[in-house]
Amino acid sequence: MNPSEAPRRQPVVLVHFSMADRHYEPLQTLAVRYTVEGIDPRDVKVVERSVLWYTEGKGEEDLGVHRFERPGAPAIGRPLVGEFSCPLPLSPLSYEGLIVKIRWCVRIRLFFAGGRDFVSEHIFDLGDVPVAAFPGRP
Amino acid sequence: MRLPRFFAKKRGHRRTGAEVWGSVGEALFHAVLVVGGLAFGGLLVTGMAVPEWRINHDFVAGRARVVGLGLARRTTGVAAEAEVSWQPGLRLRYETPAGEVESWAFRGPREPDRSRALARLDREDLGREVTCWYDPDAARVVVLERGYNWWMWALTLLMPGALLAFGSAGLIRAYGRWGKSEERRAATRGGLGQLVATPVLEQDHPGVPGCDDLVNSPGTILRFRLPLESPENWTLLGFGLFAVLWNAVLSLLAVNAGLDLLGGRIDWLLLAIIVPFAAVGIAGIVIFVRRVFLTTAVGPTQLEISDHPLRPDGIYDLLLAQGGSGAFTRLELALELEEQATFRQGTDTRTERVVVWRQELGSWRDLQLTPGTRFEARAALHVPGKAMHSFASEHNSVHWRIVVRGRPGRWPAFTRSFPLVVFPAAAEKGT
Repeated sequence: MNPSEAPRRQPVVLVHFSMADRHYEPLQTLAVRYTVEGIDPRDVKVVERSVLWYTEGKGEEDLGVHRFERPGAPAIGRPLVGEFSCPLPLSPLSYEGLIVKIRWCVRIRLFFAGGRDFVSEHIFDLGDVPVAAFPGRP
Repeated sequence: MRLPRFFAKKRGHRRTGAEVWGSVGEALFHAVLVVGGLAFGGLLVTGMAVPEWRINHDFVAGRARVVGLGLARRTTGVAAEAEVSWQPGLRLRYETPAGEVESWAFRGPREPDRSRALARLDREDLGREVTCWYDPDAARVVVLERGYNWWMWALTLLMPGALLAFGSAGLIRAYGRWGKSEERRAATRGGLGQLVATPVLEQDHPGVPGCDDLVNSPGTILRFRLPLESPENWTLLGFGLFAVLWNAVLSLLAVNAGLDLLGGRIDWLLLAIIVPFAAVGIAGIVIFVRRVFLTTAVGPTQLEISDHPLRPDGIYDLLLAQGGSGAFTRLELALELEEQATFRQGTDTRTERVVVWRQELGSWRDLQLTPGTRFEARAALHVPGKAMHSFASEHNSVHWRIVVRGRPGRWPAFTRSFPLVVFPAAAEKGT
């Protein structure tokens, strides 16, 4: 196989949440530790990490960023690891509706030389709202 | 060689792509609009604005003698679709520093009717003296009128202006997005666009709609009177707007047809259009008047609540008051949770609503209302302990509301809803 035709290696982002079941209550502190594997750390220019909610379902996607960090370029020769923490807000709570769903997640976005980027998204729950159902349906 | 990827590729919760290339495409598109606006505007400025400005500033005034009269014929289009217009012209003789010059100048607008152009020409006299303005750089270029055609300016500058405005706004937006992730853009979002697009939210409760408008009206017995958010009112407004606009257009057509009739002409095509237009216009008025009658005939519905905003597991008192007269077969009071999603389908923007939870709070049968008094009933409202809070974002929302459904004996059934705001349960812990 020609070297230029070799499949590009995809990074693998491993995220460890402070709560094993990934369930948090409002105002609780979310602590996250992440590791990026499968690529040469020197290829990564910038790492962005954020805690956000977004909507899913029938409507257009809406997005709200609770925490956004863009630390400087990763140190050369060191593995791509990091950790951060933040207190979670009172709302919006995670919600599994019929046509509107609200998801909370941690996103790790890697920017490579040449403009390409890679996003890894890790869902967690905020609050304990039961799944919605049509009236009368169990 | 690997080509740049314009669109992100999603595999589960992993996504790869190059947003820079998307921004490049967007910037190029808007740059083309800006260049088009500049080119179009440039053509208009050099072809219309500059000549008009020169006539008003550079041309030299003088006296000229009319030495000839004629009609200028102009043909536009080709073959059977050719259109001919006529414009009266005056052959002028006038003095310039370089000597005596003779040239044609034209007065007034072009006429499609030759006889009307001739009638205008008859009003000109050979041999009389008129004021003219000639170009000092080309003495044979002479005009009989000066001034600015502001209406034409506004019309011709509209298109390049729109292209420039749209293109520039797009370029500024593309510059703002350049190389930035959606999280970074959302974290630093602000400005007028954000104010317009995002609903008013409760402070300290992201995503929860504000309830200031729901607690500014005190009740007569309980603490707050809830505002009515009736879909019937919007329908009524829609019918009213339709009736007004449609009949405004109809009036314009009717005035035109009337003027034709007064002038002794009958435009059968116009009359053929007016007849169905009039039928729709009359139907629009009838439907609107009927809706107004039905809406006001039933009588007002008022709802008061002991506290607001609501909290999960909270219990609240409600007071329902229904005015009007006559018999009511049924009157119902219910608490509902509704999801609303707005999405684009092709070029349309659609909104879908689904009621995902409903609880009946009270139901009354066979009521007899008398004028001057109102039916009053109390009910208790219990918000479920793990209820979803009210939520509103640009395209999605989760609404709580109390719905009153009535079935009057003589009139069609009605539905009136009163919006509520439910805070998250954790608000109590946090505040």
